[in-house]
Amino acid sequence: MSEEHVKKFMSSVDIKARIRAAEKFSEVFDNVVKAVLGGEEPKLVIPKRTLSNTIYDKERGLLLLGPATFERSFLDVKEARKFMQTLLMAKIIYDALINNEYPTIRDLFYRGKHSIRYRDHKGRIEEENTWDEQKESDAVLRDIEVLVNLLREEMLILSKEKGKVVGDMRIRSGDDVIDLSKMGHGAYAIEPTPDLIEFIDVNAEFVLVVEKDAVFQQLHRAGFWRKYKAILVTSAGQPDRATRRFVRRLNEELKLPIYILTDADPYGWYIYSVFRIGSITLSYESERLATPKAKFLGVSMTDIFGDKNKKPYLSDAERRNFIIKAKKTDIKRAQELLNYEWFKTEKWTKEINIFLQKQSKLEIEALTGKGLHFLMDTYIPTKIHTQDFIE
Amino acid sequence: MSVAEKFRSISPAEFFYRNKEIAGFANPARALYQSVRELVENALDATDAHGIFPDIAISIERDQNKAYVYRITVKDNGIGIPENYIPDAFGRVLFSSKYVLRQTRGLFGLGAKMVVLYGQITVGEPAEIVSATINSKKIYKYKIMIDIKENKPIVLERSWWQNKTGWHGTMVKVAVEGDWSKARQKVLEYIKRTAIVSPYANIVFRSPDGEIKIYQRVANMLPPPPREAKPHPHGVDLEMLKAMISETKAQTLIEFLSDEFQGVGRVLAERFVSTYGFDPNINPKDLSKDDLEKLVRALKEFNEFRKPRADHLSPIGSELIKIGLNTILKPEFTDAITRKPVVYEGHSMVVEVGIAYGGAIEPLEEPMLLRFANKIPLLYDEKSDVAWKVISENIDWSYYDIVFPAPIAILVHVCGTKIPYKGVGKESIAEVPVLEHEIEEGVRYVARSLKLYLAKKQKEEEMARKAITLIKYIPEIARALTTFAKANPEPIKAEVLESKLFDLVKNRFRDSLKNISSPRDVVLSLE
Repeated sequence: MSEEHVKKFMSSVDIKARIRAAEKFSEVFDNVVKAVLGGEEPKLVIPKRTLSNTIYDKERGLLLLGPATFERSFLDVKEARKFMQTLLMAKIIYDALINNEYPTIRDLFYRGKHSIRYRDHKGRIEEENTWDEQKESDAVLRDIEVLVNLLREEMLILSKEKGKVVGDMRIRSGDDVIDLSKMGHGAYAIEPTPDLIEFIDVNAEFVLVVEKDAVFQQLHRAGFWRKYKAILVTSAGQPDRATRRFVRRLNEELKLPIYILTDADPYGWYIYSVFRIGSITLSYESERLATPKAKFLGVSMTDIFGDKNKKPYLSDAERRNFIIKAKKTDIKRAQELLNYEWFKTEKWTKEINIFLQKQSKLEIEALTGKGLHFLMDTYIPTKIHTQDFIE
Repeated sequence: MSVAEKFRSISPAEFFYRNKEIAGFANPARALYQSVRELVENALDATDAHGIFPDIAISIERDQNKAYVYRITVKDNGIGIPENYIPDAFGRVLFSSKYVLRQTRGLFGLGAKMVVLYGQITVGEPAEIVSATINSKKIYKYKIMIDIKENKPIVLERSWWQNKTGWHGTMVKVAVEGDWSKARQKVLEYIKRTAIVSPYANIVFRSPDGEIKIYQRVANMLPPPPREAKPHPHGVDLEMLKAMISETKAQTLIEFLSDEFQGVGRVLAERFVSTYGFDPNINPKDLSKDDLEKLVRALKEFNEFRKPRADHLSPIGSELIKIGLNTILKPEFTDAITRKPVVYEGHSMVVEVGIAYGGAIEPLEEPMLLRFANKIPLLYDEKSDVAWKVISENIDWSYYDIVFPAPIAILVHVCGTKIPYKGVGKESIAEVPVLEHEIEEGVRYVARSLKLYLAKKQKEEEMARKAITLIKYIPEIARALTTFAKANPEPIKAEVLESKLFDLVKNRFRDSLKNISSPRDVVLSLE
């Protein structure tokens, strides 16, 4: 595409982002070229993305990448393949940046995947793929994110949209203005580059993030966000980066309180913690993606079983009908959560211990089983009103 | 003796005529093999033992009319046979010029006569011998048969012609009853193994089927020719002693001992005589039967004689063994050792062991064993041989990092003037402790050497594998780097980056990259 065409058809924010990212790439990899030309062993110094190098910053309530780094050297037999993959990935991304393309991570996988044909030390002809599965190319992509200190969104790499949002607000995406209150029965799919979204005007008092897409749809059709002046968001399971960044911006820039509604099980709680604190695998993004002020609205164990100060939301009969016996993997996961620094609070310890004691879990849908209006008009408003949530 | 028995003597020829299986002529197949073997061994004895590089031509022809009749011709370029000896050399069993102690392939000088005798019995044609000694002006041709009853040659034809080319050597042609289809495998194997231990020989073989095997000379050195040696006192028995006394010119016992034996000097002879109370000045011919028996015992017992010499032996030598194994088996690794001489019943013996590994050798469940005694391949009775016991029982091959099936050949050569064969067939060697020990030590030596080689090879392979692991990524990395090298003042070519990266790998894995001069030797195009 010529310069003119680029300007004519593409949004100006994208163009700026491209130039910035491409410059960073040149900077980092030009050093590698210089090393090779100078006869030095080429090395990449990459921050470690491991649990041991993940630090929980209590003060800021964030999971952050620690200072540990490792060297990925071409001459290290164990690292050589990864070294090649890293450079291959860098080249593909760089080419996409300067050619004004928008690859997805799957595209990156296909663009880089090809065979290397070689003669082994015994003279046999062998073939090896640059990478075999997307898992491999994704891992290298994450290495590049920390190496060049750019998120993939900043490199204009797209991923499948997962998160959705509706509410009484207008945004600018690219060069269009979108009214999120006029999405019909559908919803606005949060774009993979949420930083390029501009908030125009917003009429809402809080944000409700729902783990489950089905519950999101029920609440949307029932008019929850209109009735309670809410922005309704779903992550449709484990939140992708775009949804997390979008939620973070709603909180940070618009000062809207964020309430998160998940299943009452260890997976639901971890989803909440990813929104709030960040994830271990992507701790390097937490600073931009996590929302430390997000609140866990439910469903909590005390909501189901009650405690000495609180009457449960379910009757004995309902509880018998709705709760599911926890599986071994649930128990194991709960025990892991107990070890995470950021779950070591009084409230969470209590929650997890009740779970371990009762060995029972509950899905949000169970509450709609009690009637959609119970969830919409009783459970959620009561919990917010009485501040019955975990911070 | 209460029952009257009829006594008569039979001639040696008649004895072997009646007991031909003893000499290896038990059946037509074995007889054909044995005939080839005897003639080839004589041919080699006539050459390498006299410093001549052997040119041996062997052919077996099938008779056009009579089934099971084969004509064997063996021609050599050896020292030849003096004309007047030719009839006896081929026509008188147990004919021998004089008592000589030295290593030769044939021990009794019996082989050729047996072939002639066997041919005569089964086919009835005379043997044809053509021979010329070195510098002989004439070449002689004889047609000979054997008078079995009288054990003497019958000369049917004698002729000669001028030796214009200066040829010397012997050609023997004998018609025997044989079975080629059954003997084929053994004959071919025999010649192949002979070639292994005589890489300094040219050997050409033409089979009845017209196939021609050529083993070209690849070594330009010969094993040292064996010297004649006197008997060692520990190795004599009563009969031998009597024979020696009858032939000696010595006038006194002291003279006899110091002249006719090895390992005995005048001083030692005097000490020996006084230790056992013999009369030093007695003429040995005057010794009584009792004295002789006492003397034999004393000679065996006295332990101050010097050890038997080994220079009458002709070991092949580790160098030639390696050359032979390399040439015939085409392995990737060989080694060999010639052990120091040892003594067995007063006779010195030398054990040699060779090993060949990999390459064209087929992997087998057990090592391939190539046995030789005085350079003669032993093909029969392998499992009862001491060398088999050593390699199959005494050696734990896993200790040498060998896991079977493995491509291993072990060569064991025993040479000596008295080899402890197990039977009259002379096809397997008995488990004499000193010999077993020598073979075992030899095998351990070469196995250790193989182990070191394999470890080194494995290490080199590992290094090469590592180097290739890096090199195979070079073109990919170079291509990626050119993308970022654009910003430099001049565009940088992928080839430049490739060669720089290759230099880095070369510096680290220098020794393992002998055959690789660029990444393009490793990475191939996909088309």
